Amino acid sequence: MSSQLRTFSASLKIARRDLLDFWRAKQIVLSFLLMPIVLMSMFGYMFPTVPKANQFVGTMPTAYPNLPVALVQIDRGSLANAVAYEFVNIAQAQQLFQIKEMGSFQSARDSLVRGAIFGIVVIPEGFTDAILGKQQACVEVTADETNPQIAAVVQSEMASIFSIISSNISTSYMDSKGATLNPTFMLQPVSIIQEPLISGTSTTFQFLAPGFMALTVVFGALAGVGFAISREREQGTMDGLLVAPISRTAVVFGKVLAQTVRGMIQAFLILGLSMLLFGVRIYGSPFVMVLVLLMGVASFVGVGIILTSFAPDQETAQMTVMLLQFPMMFLSGIIFPVSSLPVWMQWIGKAMPLYYAADALRKVVILNAGLPVIASDLLILVAYSFITLAIAVPLFQRQMAR
Amino acid sequence: MSPSPDTLAIETDDLTKRFNNFTAVDQIDLNVQKGEIYGFLGPNGAGKSTTIRMLSTLLTPSSGSARVSGYDIVHQAGQVRKKIGLVSEKLIMYPRLTAFENLMFFGSLYDIDRDSLLDKTNKLLDMVQLTSYKDRVVGGYSSGMRQRLNVIRALLHDPEIIFLDEPTTALDPQSTRFVRDLVKELKAMGHTIVLTTHIMEEADELSDTISIIDHGKIISTDTPGNLKKKCDADNLLDVFLTLTGRELRDSASDKVPMRRVVGRM
Repeated sequence: MSSQLRTFSASLKIARRDLLDFWRAKQIVLSFLLMPIVLMSMFGYMFPTVPKANQFVGTMPTAYPNLPVALVQIDRGSLANAVAYEFVNIAQAQQLFQIKEMGSFQSARDSLVRGAIFGIVVIPEGFTDAILGKQQACVEVTADETNPQIAAVVQSEMASIFSIISSNISTSYMDSKGATLNPTFMLQPVSIIQEPLISGTSTTFQFLAPGFMALTVVFGALAGVGFAISREREQGTMDGLLVAPISRTAVVFGKVLAQTVRGMIQAFLILGLSMLLFGVRIYGSPFVMVLVLLMGVASFVGVGIILTSFAPDQETAQMTVMLLQFPMMFLSGIIFPVSSLPVWMQWIGKAMPLYYAADALRKVVILNAGLPVIASDLLILVAYSFITLAIAVPLFQRQMAR
Repeated sequence: MSPSPDTLAIETDDLTKRFNNFTAVDQIDLNVQKGEIYGFLGPNGAGKSTTIRMLSTLLTPSSGSARVSGYDIVHQAGQVRKKIGLVSEKLIMYPRLTAFENLMFFGSLYDIDRDSLLDKTNKLLDMVQLTSYKDRVVGGYSSGMRQRLNVIRALLHDPEIIFLDEPTTALDPQSTRFVRDLVKELKAMGHTIVLTTHIMEEADELSDTISIIDHGKIISTDTPGNLKKKCDADNLLDVFLTLTGRELRDSASDKVPMRRVVGRM
């Protein structure tokens, strides 16, 4: 048998043993299977489905339906009544807000401070007179600024509703004046209709799922191989492998293979759950997806071995790997787009191979990108793999014989 | 180093291992005859385990050389590994796998065809009276059962030389007796055995030759009988204490020199 074949055969045996050992640890298997479910459910419901549509013609997008807000109508004039009526109608029909009518701003403010409502709309005195006098009338909106995310949603949805009401008032006014032109043309000569990049209803999760798949596989490679090596060193079984007439490379690749199988199972579990629970659709080739995931693993294995080679025990190895895992999770565009980060953080994010694995996987899953489109991402992952493994394998051999 | 005479299983020449500024093994010369039981004794931190780890190719020497079964431990490590079996002080077994699965896995790493390995595994399990427990996970074994299994794991490929690093530590008297008889049986089968132990009675009973190492240097090598004569002692424990002194050894590790930690309470 050639030495390469012998190494490959030994790697397979080591991988098989590692997987059998893993399968026997029922609690670990349970956590392994539950982790993607928890992760997916958590993020799936944190970022619920947001239908996209033109605000003037279709359903309005909202991630937080039926937020309780107060309506304080101080002006009791006819137009104030009409606007309040229309506001309540739109808000309820679109399931944007649950409206609570209140007598004064102060009582509404007290409710907001107590956390009973998230926003206040006041139709102030003089609202009707202003419109009748052909002056711009204002409504006053107050949002719960202790929660910036909710406050942004309240402000944006209020703006949308009052934009519709405002257009309706203008249109009816022009209609009554017998304008010869189409009032909607006069108000808004150019309108925007959003055409989705992919057909059907798109969800935030469609974008998150590929990132989580890459994250799971890559973390498995980063942490799993290092932990497996440090655990075997600690418990003494590594001596049994190293004293056998097999190459050190076979030991490393056996561990990598076992972790890759585990990572792939988790990644496809994530994908399956995303499709089943959150309507995620795959537009690209499963073969290219697997290739990207494998490249992601290859790019991280070396990093994991380098980080844990110097660790005297498993606990130290875990702490060292966690030091890299957390920044990577938040800076590599898995949860937040990298472009939303400060420039210096973007540089860090883009220095991590997870960024390229997630980027390539997203393009494949969502945009049906083929190999030529993701070639630059793959090339970077290949470069990472070669560089890190060129350091890691000799380092592992040296550390084992120190 | 000149080629090993046919009678030598292990031969070292100025074998040295340093960890940073700490010399764990200092220019030792060992000659282990084929087929003998070679007792390798020393206090904690004397350099026994480091020497055995070098001879079994797990550690690279800092200087000097060694041949095991005629092969250089650095340049012909792969050949050396085929010829040796290591029973380390730690259990080299995966606790979640059964005895049978463990043995088949470790055996598969050597060039043994599956049928022969199966046959060998069953014979060895029978030899240490573990056949009826072979399908139980090792994590549930008693320490005596584990150690018997640990010993036969090293015999699957029929090695010429077996390194036994404290094989009876923490075993009950029955298991200790069993392992000692097993060591004698292995010698009778023609294996060369390098035995480290802190139990002087065991070394006296089993060893043909004894080497005592202290502070990384070999301080005496002879038969147990001659060592007792030289030191005018009745037993090996007195020989050991005469040669290595009576002060307590508090080495934290055989491998790493102790660090001084200064702090305020």
